[in-house]
Amino acid sequence: MATSTMRRRGVVGATSVLVALALAGCSGSHEAEQAAEPVTVDGGVLRAAFAGGSTETLNYLQGPTALDYVRARLVHAPLCELDPTAPDGVAYGVVESIEMSEDLSEYTLRVRDGVTFTDGTALTSADVLYSLRAPVLLEGLPFTRLVSRNVDLDAASAPDPSTVVLPALAPLADGRELICQSMLAIKDGTTEFTPQTPSSGPFTIAAFEPGQSTLLERNDGFYGQAPTLDEIELMSIADGTARVNALRQGQVDYISGLSPAQAQNLEGEGGLSVATSELPYASYQFFAMNLEHEPFADPRVREAFKLAVDRERIVENVYFGHAFEGNDVPALGFGSYDDSLEQRTHDQDRARELLDEAGRTGMSVELTVGPELPGMVETATLVVEDLKAVGVDATLAELAPGQLFADYPAYLALPFKAGYTPPAPFEPNHTPGTFPEVDALVQTARSAPTAEERLNASHAAQQLLWEKGNQIAPVFVPTISAASTAVSGVRELQFPDFAQATITP
Amino acid sequence: MRLDLWIAVRVVAALATLTALSVVVFWATEVLPGDAAGVLSGPHATDAEREAIGVALGLDRPGAERYLEWMRGALGGDLGTSLATGRDVAGIVGARLVTSLAVLVPAVMMIVTLAGVLGTAAGLRQGGRLDRWLSGTTLGLIGTPDFLVATVLLAVFTAWWPVLPAVALVRPGESLWQHPELVLLPAVALALGGFGATMRLLRASVAHTVATPFAEFARLNGVRGLRYVWGVVVANALAPAVMALTVMTAGLLGGAIVVETLFNVPGLGSELTQAVAHRDVPLVQGLSLVLGAITLLLLLVGDVTARLLDRHGPTATGPAR
Repeated sequence: MATSTMRRRGVVGATSVLVALALAGCSGSHEAEQAAEPVTVDGGVLRAAFAGGSTETLNYLQGPTALDYVRARLVHAPLCELDPTAPDGVAYGVVESIEMSEDLSEYTLRVRDGVTFTDGTALTSADVLYSLRAPVLLEGLPFTRLVSRNVDLDAASAPDPSTVVLPALAPLADGRELICQSMLAIKDGTTEFTPQTPSSGPFTIAAFEPGQSTLLERNDGFYGQAPTLDEIELMSIADGTARVNALRQGQVDYISGLSPAQAQNLEGEGGLSVATSELPYASYQFFAMNLEHEPFADPRVREAFKLAVDRERIVENVYFGHAFEGNDVPALGFGSYDDSLEQRTHDQDRARELLDEAGRTGMSVELTVGPELPGMVETATLVVEDLKAVGVDATLAELAPGQLFADYPAYLALPFKAGYTPPAPFEPNHTPGTFPEVDALVQTARSAPTAEERLNASHAAQQLLWEKGNQIAPVFVPTISAASTAVSGVRELQFPDFAQATITP
Repeated sequence: MRLDLWIAVRVVAALATLTALSVVVFWATEVLPGDAAGVLSGPHATDAEREAIGVALGLDRPGAERYLEWMRGALGGDLGTSLATGRDVAGIVGARLVTSLAVLVPAVMMIVTLAGVLGTAAGLRQGGRLDRWLSGTTLGLIGTPDFLVATVLLAVFTAWWPVLPAVALVRPGESLWQHPELVLLPAVALALGGFGATMRLLRASVAHTVATPFAEFARLNGVRGLRYVWGVVVANALAPAVMALTVMTAGLLGGAIVVETLFNVPGLGSELTQAVAHRDVPLVQGLSLVLGAITLLLLLVGDVTARLLDRHGPTATGPAR
């Protein structure tokens, strides 16, 4: 349609100058029309760019990039989503409710009526059950398998077209969060993902070229609130600087995955706005001290390291304010996060005292880091500086992109290393094996009969991690995006959601 | 040696080189810390899941076995499937090659034109004003890193005087070949990078020819103007120049990573760096093999052309910068 064509600014080659002039003419008359009528924001094309890359795939179960999930989330309707503000902690999608049995051993999912796939068939409990089993059946990447680690999917059943019954492997209080963390609805029996694969989300795939671009068109048969955009074009621009250039020039309307420095540069530029995802959608960035490494077995050394780090300086100097100060405990912003914990402050004197008491003044340590999260290497550089300031002989080992986690056993064996966890609730994502007392408390937090007992256990676990945990978590890192001011309605979750985005011509 | 026999020997040598290259590349990717299963699993997988991914990708088998299996496939034209995406390696390599060529072909054409005209002009009047000016400029260009050339071009033509798009964005179903306006800046950036060295080689070759007794004899016999330049100097300086151009072209094909990254041209070079980061051995193998084969082919074509052009048999030509 005319509006969408006119939105395509920027491509001004020798051959397209005439076209551009013609469009400029059209756009003038269009504005004149609009002055007489109330401005509507229906329709239009949103062009959004992500890092993407040639590993892009429509199979979101095996898609390692943010772009794969953003696209999948627009094409396949979610079963439900995390929503810390909702009564159940989740917002429902094609599943309209999840009931938990009194003894926490079974979950009953009710499937919404009136949801159809693009091939015209109705979405039933068989499809929901298959969607839950798909990560295992279709060899999905580990992060998609959270449900299968906690629920007995082989024993799960669909007794009628609108009911799914899921038995838990052990009493489980946070099953809703697990089911709603990243599960999308696909049709029973789906084994491959192509543009023609039946889907039930707000958009359908009109064209897909991996590592290049995806063209999405509005699905008028979508069961939920209808999107206003006609089309969304998701583009892959691997380099961050190139993404910024494309936005500045108007080749795209929205870019994701900015570095804090790029965000700082773009802020205040006319016609552009910078947005940061809100809590809880910020990644937990940590520096893990390996307890097998002798000095770190002493809790005084761990505490000294935590006290040595100047968190406010990291938030200001590395993230230019686009980050949330951390308190060495994960899942900031989620329902069970313990806000009553005292915020750890920067205390160099106490850090020196503790190191002295432990007999570790002047100890040597190497911090291993890689550019796996925006600002991670810069944060590690400041952590090393802070440690030097309290008398630790600290050095930095910086790895190439992608190398930090490539050899995981080697990563685990490092004495002191950077890492991160994407935004997710604490208890179901806790990795046991470091502190048995914490593991036991988390187990209670996930299975105690009353909500109060569960919350108390969770807070006790967090208290222990705060006191003697082996992770320094100076900041929580949000996703930073930038857009033309014509764009609105983008939900900045862990990944942006464009389902209700609008664009003014 | 007869030309056809000489070519046959060169082709056999090229095949042996390719085989050796595939072993070296496989070994080099193997010894890098970590593997594709580690990259795909990320930091949040359980040990069992990690192991299952390794088995599914076939990484639990010995390296030699995987190499031989890949080699058997490659001989039959099957370059295998990418570990990161499960897609056909031949398809990925083909698409990246087409993209790389869309920028490389115009860049080489610019280099040939510019370096040809200016190199000949400078070589004819060695030490003249144009020669001195070009020497300085080309030395400057050779000494300027690719990213700086590209960044200056971006600043000038997309920010100060915004007449060209900053990033090569192509809609699905279209190819970069259909968009000259998207190709122009990256091609100019590549051409500026490769122009300096080629022009200096050509200039040296022309200057060398001008100084030969053969050229002097022609001049004394009254050969002048275009006939002298084209028929005497260029015809004799062409052989080493063609060699220089083929070496430069082969280098630009896989070595344009900076330009490909900054202008978002997903070509062979940037794909190779990503494949290494993903420890995607079949894709690394496929890309290196194709890059190696094209390089050897270009060098062979260069050698054959030079041999056909070289009218005076092997001479002591030693073009120097």
